[in-house]
Amino acid sequence: MGTPKAALEWHGSTLLRRTTGILARVTGGPVVVVRAAGQPLPTLPPGVEVVDDPREGKGPVQGIAAGLTALAGRADLAFISSTDMPFLHPAFVRRVLRAVEDGADVGLPVARGYPQPLAAAYRTALAPVAERLVAAERLRPAFLFDECSVDRLDESALRADPVLAALDPALDSVVNVNEPADYQAARAAPAPQITIQRFGALADGQRGPQPARAATVAEAAAAAGVAFDGHVVAALNGDQLTRDGETPLAAGDTVFFLSADAGG
Amino acid sequence: MTAGGYCGQALVVDVGAGTSERLPLPDDLLRAYLGGAGLGTWLMHRLGPPGVDPLAPAAPLAFVFSPLVGTPLTTSAKFAVVAKSPLTGMLNDALSSSQFAIAGKLTGHDAIVVRGACTEPSALLVDGNGARLTGAAELCGLPAAEAEARLRDQLGHGWRIAAIGPAGERGVRYATISHDGRHAGRGGLGAVLGAKRLKAVAVRAAIKVGPADPAAVLAAARDLRARSFGPATAKYRELGTLANLLAFNALSTLPTRNFQAASFAEAPQLAAEELAGLRKVARNSCASCTIGCEHIYRARSGQKMRVEYENVFALGPMCGVADPDAVLAASARCDDLGLDTISAGGTIAWAMECAERGLIDAPWLRFGDSGALLRALDEIGHRRGLGELLAEGSRRAAQRVGGGSAAFAPHVKGLELPGYEPRTLQAMALGLAVNARGADHNRSGAYEADLSGQHDRLAGGAAQVAAAIETEDRAAVMDSMILCKFLRGVFTEPFDEWAALLSAVTGWPVDGTELHQTARRIVLAKRAFNIREGWQPADDWLPGRLLAEPVQLGSGRVATLTPDRLRGMIDGYYAARGLDSQGHPGPADVADLMLM
Repeated sequence: MGTPKAALEWHGSTLLRRTTGILARVTGGPVVVVRAAGQPLPTLPPGVEVVDDPREGKGPVQGIAAGLTALAGRADLAFISSTDMPFLHPAFVRRVLRAVEDGADVGLPVARGYPQPLAAAYRTALAPVAERLVAAERLRPAFLFDECSVDRLDESALRADPVLAALDPALDSVVNVNEPADYQAARAAPAPQITIQRFGALADGQRGPQPARAATVAEAAAAAGVAFDGHVVAALNGDQLTRDGETPLAAGDTVFFLSADAGG
Repeated sequence: MTAGGYCGQALVVDVGAGTSERLPLPDDLLRAYLGGAGLGTWLMHRLGPPGVDPLAPAAPLAFVFSPLVGTPLTTSAKFAVVAKSPLTGMLNDALSSSQFAIAGKLTGHDAIVVRGACTEPSALLVDGNGARLTGAAELCGLPAAEAEARLRDQLGHGWRIAAIGPAGERGVRYATISHDGRHAGRGGLGAVLGAKRLKAVAVRAAIKVGPADPAAVLAAARDLRARSFGPATAKYRELGTLANLLAFNALSTLPTRNFQAASFAEAPQLAAEELAGLRKVARNSCASCTIGCEHIYRARSGQKMRVEYENVFALGPMCGVADPDAVLAASARCDDLGLDTISAGGTIAWAMECAERGLIDAPWLRFGDSGALLRALDEIGHRRGLGELLAEGSRRAAQRVGGGSAAFAPHVKGLELPGYEPRTLQAMALGLAVNARGADHNRSGAYEADLSGQHDRLAGGAAQVAAAIETEDRAAVMDSMILCKFLRGVFTEPFDEWAALLSAVTGWPVDGTELHQTARRIVLAKRAFNIREGWQPADDWLPGRLLAEPVQLGSGRVATLTPDRLRGMIDGYYAARGLDSQGHPGPADVADLMLM
């Protein structure tokens, strides 16, 4: 690729920034980045933790083990994603997590012809199982799945979720960028379709929701004609507030722009 | 020699005995408490008999000025009215802005304290000739604005007047004191004056009080004036605080139908974005203010009134009323009667729910019924019918009604909640619970942390504790210096910048570190007063409904504020403030309060 995937530009941000931002929106718990020891990473928002993978070259199960170990004692469930999935949608993450919430040890999407272990949900209690497999050089995710209960979510199961079906009907969440051409094609795709709305003095005669295309809050602000400075805050889906222009957006999001000088 | 900006004395008037005396205020005391809410707190400790009934003659009420009053600094024409609240039984300080602040200070006093009770309805006059009473029987029953106008006509040029309306005369526990169309609104201070049979207090300037370094103050004033026109105050200038309504609705933080919901489907009908183009007729400012946050709207009846977020929330969504004309009329009615709109709306909303549940026999009182809202306000203001009960506030009313209604009485320490939903603003939840005045959005600005994007507003914890303390400290200083909080966004290093302003005015070498200590002292002095007057740890809490009934946001996330979570935040607040586990300050902190 020429550039580490984590640092690939994505709508004024980076792929890693996007991935961590999407997971932070959905999970509400710690977000952990597992990297090769000493691997440089692009700037990440405050609160994202970085752990070094103690053993290089051991494949995805090692990364899964390291991530689950980092979360042990702080979270019961985890969504594990590779960094190169630029269309990962919060609705997809929620649907997959629900499989584990409902009792399985692993929620494993099977989409676009392949199981997706790096777009899947796991119980953090599997950490020692994964560690044992790595120590035994049993490095394929299938070995892990042999030792626990797995809810395999095929495309029809995934699309049975009405929210996911509406917001990510093609299951672009599992599209990854392995080659430069993959990245270029993904980057050339239109930004997600969202809705923006301005409030208070920012509305300036343009009240009510309006459609826009934006991959980040900064792009949404530009589409809204709002100077996203210290006096403006954005609210995602009427819920999470942010002043970080690199906050990633996904199809179906609503972004409200309000005066940050709250109260009165 | 007294520091710049001060007179070095308070006037203590006994309107029963017809006497007055001057209480010296030494520099070290003034530097420790500044003025306004801070100095007022100290005066209540000093002059208020422990355990006194707030409506008893012996209960003092103080108009407290500040070193910045009368300087060219924008928003400095403010004063505090401080007393023990008849609504909460705790310390209450109400800030307000008008020429009354300037004239009051230039009578030659840093505070004017009233004790005793008149034998007949009277007005207290204070000027260079001292303090005296004049008969005011002909003003009884009039709205405060009308009483003020008549008294000014009677007294002549130069007098500034603060007055009470019929609600204060009748002892409604959330009656206001009004002046120049503005109000010292919360906590029932109008009832305190009413119990003293004082319809009005009139002041006339007699002396000049200058700053220590006039050139520095002038330069600071020019700088502050320029900054006051910048983006930090744009919201207040362009749409006013009513701009909050639609935004809060979108964020599920707009209390609706007595906190049964956190958004109001009809909110767009009341939104500033909708109404401003149709109804706004003018924009005004307080005295000495360059921001101009007052937005005057005209109702269909032709009546004009100032519209703020809090009165629209309290008389609109809180009561389920969506008709803007009804809300404007209700707000005007509160002004005429002299009622705190937040407590009135909150108490009526509670009563609406009681009526719908069959706990109160009032079939006419229902959520969304604007006629019922107006009728309830009239009955409260005149203490007749159901108003006799509702004039006591939601806490006392719930104690009398019973039936589990206390769980949804929307108050903290007896003061009704403002328009910030605690379940979806959990830093604010803490701020509301621990504040000395009760449920107060001005003494705690913790919602700023919730709306900053830096913390998850639905996950109250340690971060929220730090934020609540920071905003409480800032409020303590701003309310004591005094500067308007709408100016807060123009300061990048507030404590250092405020210290510089204070130094220029007083001549004291104040720095930001000292002001942090001053802030903490003022907050703890308020707490110490409340403890003296019977505060219990259980008073730092929130209504049962807010801890038992989650709120669902449009995103699907559920906002839950559990007792455990609130307890954790309160315990964290106590620890961070250096209080013991029961919320009491330690001996060293008490000694620092200079109460002996």
